[in-house]
Amino acid sequence: MVEYVLEMKGITKTFPGVVALDDVTFSVRRGEVHALVGENGAGKSTLMKILNGVYQARSGEIRLDGERITIRGVKDAQRMGISTIFQEFNLINTLSVAENIFLGRYNDSGLINWKLIRKKAADLLASLGFSFDVNRIVGKLSTAEKQLVEIAKALSFNAKILIMDEPTSSLTKNEAEMLFGIIDKLKANGITTIYISHKLEEVFRICDSVTVLRDGRVIDMKPVPEVTRDQIIEKMVGRTIDMDFPKRTSVPGGIVLSARDLGRHKLLRGISFDLRKGEILGIAGLVGSGRTELAETLFGAARIDRGHVEMNGRKLALRSTKDGKDNSIGMVTEDRKETGLVLDFSVSKNISITNLESVSRNKFLNNGLEKAAAQKYIGELNIRTPSMNQSLLNLSGGNQQKVVVAKWLFSNADVLIMDEPTRGIDVGAKYEIYCLMNKLVQEGKSIIMISSELPEVLGMSDRILVMHNGMIKGELAGGNMSAENVMRLAID
Amino acid sequence: MKHPRTKTAKRKAINLIRSYGVLLSLVLVILITGAIEKNFFTFENLLNVLRQNAVIGIVACGMTYVIISGAFDLSVGAVVSLSGVIAITTINKGGGEMLAIGLALLVGIAVGIANGVLISTINGKMGEAFIVTYGTQTVAAALAMYASGGLFVAGRIKEGFYKSIGKGMTPIAIFIVIAAILQFVLAKTGFGRRLCFIGGNMKTARMSGIRIVQNRIAYFALSGILSAIAGIILTSRVISSNPAAGVGFEMDAIAAVVVGGTSMAGGKGSIAKTILGTIVIGVLSNALNILGITSYPQMMVKGSIIIITVALDVWNKQIKERESANEKSYA
Repeated sequence: MVEYVLEMKGITKTFPGVVALDDVTFSVRRGEVHALVGENGAGKSTLMKILNGVYQARSGEIRLDGERITIRGVKDAQRMGISTIFQEFNLINTLSVAENIFLGRYNDSGLINWKLIRKKAADLLASLGFSFDVNRIVGKLSTAEKQLVEIAKALSFNAKILIMDEPTSSLTKNEAEMLFGIIDKLKANGITTIYISHKLEEVFRICDSVTVLRDGRVIDMKPVPEVTRDQIIEKMVGRTIDMDFPKRTSVPGGIVLSARDLGRHKLLRGISFDLRKGEILGIAGLVGSGRTELAETLFGAARIDRGHVEMNGRKLALRSTKDGKDNSIGMVTEDRKETGLVLDFSVSKNISITNLESVSRNKFLNNGLEKAAAQKYIGELNIRTPSMNQSLLNLSGGNQQKVVVAKWLFSNADVLIMDEPTRGIDVGAKYEIYCLMNKLVQEGKSIIMISSELPEVLGMSDRILVMHNGMIKGELAGGNMSAENVMRLAID
Repeated sequence: MKHPRTKTAKRKAINLIRSYGVLLSLVLVILITGAIEKNFFTFENLLNVLRQNAVIGIVACGMTYVIISGAFDLSVGAVVSLSGVIAITTINKGGGEMLAIGLALLVGIAVGIANGVLISTINGKMGEAFIVTYGTQTVAAALAMYASGGLFVAGRIKEGFYKSIGKGMTPIAIFIVIAAILQFVLAKTGFGRRLCFIGGNMKTARMSGIRIVQNRIAYFALSGILSAIAGIILTSRVISSNPAAGVGFEMDAIAAVVVGGTSMAGGKGSIAKTILGTIVIGVLSNALNILGITSYPQMMVKGSIIIITVALDVWNKQIKERESANEKSYA
C-alpha cells in the first residue's frame, strides 16, 4: 500500500480573472487527520471542491491510493469514497434519520425494506458510539446530532476520506469534544479526515498534519508537533501578528445604558446591569443561556414583560426595532447573512438603510449623498470591495461583517450590540474587527459584545457578564476575568 | 472543461433576452400585425388599447408594490367589483357622487388593511398571502353579489364628474399619474427603499429598525385603494355596475407585473416594468383580436407568454447563482 491515501499534484484552477489555485500539491497520509488552514479566499474551499467533484481542475492530477483518478461530479467522488460534510448540512429536515442517511438509496428492487434500512442506519450510528432512535425527524435534532447524521451518511458510502468544513462552527464546547471523539474513532478505523478550520486550537488538539494555503498556493505542510500556533498564523497571513487582541488605552466613563430587572417570559429573569461610555461589556454563557434573547430585548426586537431599560437616565419605550434604532442603539446580529444584510443588494444600499433621512434631500433619496456615505465607510473601515455598487454576495465574510458594522455607524448608534462579531471570519479580518471595536469605544461609543469564543471575550472586554438560564450568574472584572471563572459561572 | 468565456457570453445573451425580450417580442408583434392589418397601426386603435388596459394597469401598479414586498394580492379583482357596486348603489340611493367615490375608496382601503393586518401579524410569506387574500377575495366577491343581488345595476348618473372619470383620455391620464407617482416613490423615497428591503430579506429589514407590520399594511392598503379606483373608472365608463366586473383581474395584474420583468422573488422590480408588461399584454390581445383569433386561443397564447417569461426569469437567476457561487470561492 502507498503511504499517501490521497495525492493532489500541480492542481491549478482559474476563474475568470483570478487564479484560485496555483500549482497546488496536497498529500494526505492514510488514516491521519489533516488540517487545511488559510484565510478566507486562500483557496481551501476551491481545493476541496475539486476533490469532491464540484469543480474540475484546469490542470494537475489526483491520485487515490496511488491510482490516478478523474472526478467528474459529486456522486463520482462519493462512489470513490470521498465524502464532504459541509457547514450547511445536506439533510432534509422533514425526513427521519434513517431516511436521510440512505436518501435516494432505499431499494435495489421494487419494494423498500424499511426495517433493513433502519437497522443499517442504527448500526452506522452505533459504530460511531451512539445509540439513537433512527426514526427521529432530522429537523428536531440539535446541530451536533445533525452533524452525526451527516457523518453516518458519509460512512454509508464507505468513505475513505472525510472532508469536514468548519465542523465546530455552531457546536457548543461539549458537542465539539464529542465530535473530536468521533474523529478519533474514525481514525482508528482507518478513515482519513481532512479538517478545515479557522480555530487553531482545534488543529493542535486533533490534527496530525497541517497544510497552510495562502493566495492559492501551498505555503507549508508539516506534522503538527513540529509547528507552533504563531508560525501557522504567520504563514496564513504572510506577516507576524504581535498579539491576538489589540491593546486599548481608553478608560470607560459614565453610565450610558442601564437594564433594570428585565424579564421575558421563560427566557430572561431579573437582568440588571449598567453599560458605561467607551466600554466593551462582554456577555458570555453557553448557547441557550439567554444571551441573544437579552440582545434582542435591548434592541427592541422582542417585548419586555418586566423591568425597563434606561439610556442616559431616561426610560426607553422599546416596542420595536425602530425604537431601538431611534434611541441610538444598533445591533450587529449573529447571522449576518440571514438577519444582518440583504446579500443581493449593493454595499451602499445595505449601509444607508439605517439612516435614509440623511441621504435624502427634501425627503427624496439623493444618489450623491448615498454614494458619499458608502465611500466614507468603505474607506474608514477598509471594506475591500471592487465598488460600492457591488452586491454583497461577492464579498468575503469579514468584509460583509464590516458592512454590518458600517450600517450601524451610519445610524449614529451610541450603543452597539454585537452578537458573535467575528463568527466565520478569518484571522486577519478578526483582528481588523477588534481594532475597529477599540476605535469605536475610544471615540466614546459603547459596545455590548456577545461571544462564544472565550479568548475573544477575555481579550476584548472591560467587564464580563456571564449568563446562565436566562439570568446573569455573575460579573467578572479586572483580575477575575479568566477562562476558568467564566466557565465556572456558565456551567451550573 | 468548458471554457468560462462561453458561459459568460451565454449569460449575456440570456440577460439581453431577459431584459429586452419582452420589448422585442412586443415590437415584433406590432410589426407583423401592422403589416397584415392596416387597422392596427392607427392612432385610434392604439389609444383604444391603452384605454382598455389603463384599468388593469392601475391594479397592476398596486400589485407591483405587493409583489416587491414578497407577497401578492388575490383580492384585487373582487375589490374592483365590490367598489364599483358600492359606488353605483350609493349614487342610485341618492348619496351623491363624492360620497359614492369616498365609500368605494374606503372599501378598497378596508379590504387592503384587512389583508395587511392578517398577513403581517402572522409574519406571512407568499403562501400565507395566497390563502389570506384568496379568503378576502371570496368575501369581497360575495359582498358584491349580495349588495347587488347578483345583477347588473344601471347607474342613474347624470352628466357630471362621475361620468367623466371613465371617459376619453381620463383613465389613461389617471393611470399615467398614478404610475409616475408610484415609480418615483419606489425609486426615490425611504418608503420605496424600505419596501425593497422588506421584500429582499424581511428579517434583515426588521433588524435594521424597519417597522415591518405597518409598512406591509400600507402596501396592501395601497393595492386596495388602487383597485377601488379601477372599480370606479370601470363603472363610470359603462355607467353600470357588474358584481363580476373584476373577475380575473388579479391574474391579469400579476401577469402584467411578471411579464414586465419584476421578479416574484421580491426585493426588486419597478413600476416602469409593469407599465411595459401591461402594454405588451394589451397590445398582444388587441393584435390577436385584429387578426381574428378567437378568445380561447388568445388565452392560450397569453398563458404561454407568462410561462416563458417566468421560465426565463428563473433560468437567469439560476445562472446568476451558479456564477456567484463560483465567484465566492475566491472572493
